[in-house]
Amino acid sequence: MGIDWQRYRCEKFHDELFAAPAQPRAAARRLAGYLDSLSAAELAERRLAAELAIKVMGVTFTVYTEGRNVDRAWPFDIIPRVIARTEWEKTEAGLKQRAAALNLFIQDLYGPQKIVKDKVFPAEVLAESVNFRPQCQGMKPRHGIWAHICGSDLVRDGDGTLYVLEDNLRVPSGVSYMVENRLVTKRVFPELFETTNILPVDDYPTQLYDTLAAMSPRTGDEPNIVLLTPGIYNSAYFEHCWLAQQMGIELVEGSDLTVGDDDVVYMRTIYGPRRVDVIYRRIDDLFLDPEAFNPESVLGAKGLMRAWLKGKVALVNAPGAGVADDKVVYTFVPAMIKYYLGEEAILPNVPSFLCMDPKQRKHVLANLETLVVKPANESGGYGMLIGPRSTKAEREKFRKLIEAHPRNYMAQPTLSLSTAPTITDDGIEPRHLDLRPFILSRGDSTYVTTGGLTRVAMVKGSLVVNSSQGGGSKDTWIVDPDDDPLAQTQTQRPAGGTA
Amino acid sequence: MLSRVADNLYWFGRYIQRAENTARVVNVHANLLLDLPRKVQFGWTPLVDIFGAEASFRERYTEFSEANVVRFLLIDAQNQGSILSSLNAAREILRTTRDHIQREVWEKLNDLHYTVKERGEAALSRSKRQEFLGRVIDGTQLLYGMLACNMSHDVGFQFMRIGTSLEQADMTTRIIDVRSSNLIRSGAADELRPFQNIQWMSVLRSLTAYQMYRRHARIRVSGASVLRFLLQNREFPRSVTFGLNTIAATLPHLPQNRAIERTVDRTRALVHDANLEQLVESGLHEFVDEVQIGLAQVHEAVSNAYFRL
Repeated sequence: MGIDWQRYRCEKFHDELFAAPAQPRAAARRLAGYLDSLSAAELAERRLAAELAIKVMGVTFTVYTEGRNVDRAWPFDIIPRVIARTEWEKTEAGLKQRAAALNLFIQDLYGPQKIVKDKVFPAEVLAESVNFRPQCQGMKPRHGIWAHICGSDLVRDGDGTLYVLEDNLRVPSGVSYMVENRLVTKRVFPELFETTNILPVDDYPTQLYDTLAAMSPRTGDEPNIVLLTPGIYNSAYFEHCWLAQQMGIELVEGSDLTVGDDDVVYMRTIYGPRRVDVIYRRIDDLFLDPEAFNPESVLGAKGLMRAWLKGKVALVNAPGAGVADDKVVYTFVPAMIKYYLGEEAILPNVPSFLCMDPKQRKHVLANLETLVVKPANESGGYGMLIGPRSTKAEREKFRKLIEAHPRNYMAQPTLSLSTAPTITDDGIEPRHLDLRPFILSRGDSTYVTTGGLTRVAMVKGSLVVNSSQGGGSKDTWIVDPDDDPLAQTQTQRPAGGTA
Repeated sequence: MLSRVADNLYWFGRYIQRAENTARVVNVHANLLLDLPRKVQFGWTPLVDIFGAEASFRERYTEFSEANVVRFLLIDAQNQGSILSSLNAAREILRTTRDHIQREVWEKLNDLHYTVKERGEAALSRSKRQEFLGRVIDGTQLLYGMLACNMSHDVGFQFMRIGTSLEQADMTTRIIDVRSSNLIRSGAADELRPFQNIQWMSVLRSLTAYQMYRRHARIRVSGASVLRFLLQNREFPRSVTFGLNTIAATLPHLPQNRAIERTVDRTRALVHDANLEQLVESGLHEFVDEVQIGLAQVHEAVSNAYFRL
């Protein structure tokens, strides 16, 4: 007899796998029963097998520490996070709706700015946006798509509602780990894949390739697509290599590219210069082109913006797409959905307070101990104030910051993030988690990953899931419990009794 | 193929080959010293000479002692030609070309790199050294095996081959040059004659050529025949001619290669036409210099054609 689910204390938060102690949710019933059938020694063995698999497969991420970059093995918990297919289908529809509205919004901002004129989106927010690129005004990328690849972070609160926490529209990463996590789980729990109907995730590279190819300015010929990386010192370098390899495209650095007098982008090859049609760039806007942006940048290539503006090359995501990737702009997404699509948002935003609004700011400043305060433009979980865990000095520091730059801050209630059983040194315990699905927009169709990357805070009670700050990950299963005959007959029996 | 990637794969080949050759040369040298009488001992200086690293050595060491030279060649991270530095450079390259080379190669190279980095210090003593160098040699040979058997022999592979072949040809000429300058001349006193053979044998052994030479030559070891074998033999993989032939064989797989072809042909002819009986008596050093210039020209031609666009 393995895990005693009676002892798994999941009542404090919404748990993804258990409705109550020893009461697995329908989609997780088989998994719970299966884990229960493993002895403690077997479970430890599987955990070790997963660690070994990750090492052997070379799944790493890079952290900058003590002045140098170190490749670390990807942190992974073997117990999957399970989502019922019915819930996922609704989530998927919500994500597609969101991506559509965001793309329309970006196109509008760099075009007529109707949403500002109609006073749905405040002019002062736009005026102070650090990610608005005036260079992009008047541009209309192919199919009107700016944010081809969007990584939206979803969290579940205590009442079970799934909220969108943020939309990453610049260079979202993590999708390689989503696929690798599945490969590891298949090695570790092959039996489960025979009995449970788990939807596959490995279609992503093909879907991404199709998305990129659809953006090529040259039709007819097979497009030449490259992935532009800042190089081996970037924390996501593993993913850059992985994606290039999976799609069979060249992984290039800025120095490999030149832009000719004809405004065409070429890469330096042993056969001489070769035309490049689509660049999947994993470099931030400001480093993309020293001619248009930061003149000090050595990561990008001179003239890329010129080539893009002339329509000679596709940049994915488009420069300037980050204007919608801003925690203040985020609060307007439900309004955008209504404005552009005439629909209600399927997925809710986390309730948010804008510090630029005097009334809301007053509320924020009066409730710093209970709120989470976020800067508009940081990522990776940096620069935040988590009220309930802050010191008085930290709160004072944020009070001053907010008063000095109200546009730069927004606040949200501290969510009771949902948990899932996770193997820790003290046995199986609930740990908080989130979910990052990826949405691919191509104009004529939109693709959403099956589930996404589940990130888990490995430290007890912690809400920080970022791998750069000690977060781990889990495989994410979209499961169809209706396809499972056992689930039908066993609805009344606790998992503990199945083995 | 990107120029940068081609450049990297070329150097990857060179670095792995360099690590292997360094391990072999150090190993053989230690054995040779054990066999020579005290009065003709030439110590450890020639090893540093083989790698043309005297200036770099003198920056950090005063005495050409066994301990210093072995440390310098095996694990000195500041010596760019040490085994550790070569493996480290190869590893850094693989990081940036991971999309061209299988994961297994990366894992094995990683292993080997850590072995040298973490166990190198303990392996400097005479008793441990041989086993340690053996592991380095085995490790590099495993890499060649994996690359040759599992990797597509595409253009990337050709660049790696050019790198390994050129590095080997270069190393072979260096070993010939330094070893022969220390050789006991044919006019030496009678009592030293027996040791002349040992020295030529050690030249062969540095290049794992002894057994192949015996099968090929079937005569007692003599200077001119050893030189002929190491310079002109078309079947032994570490001979200069073999290396140049290999490079020539890669060219049909690569674009725009006339300039390279010309330098390869010129160097091949130089090696082929050499009068070795005469060179073994005098002028060998100058001749080797000429061959090395030829090899450097091949490197330049390859760089110009593919890497510096």
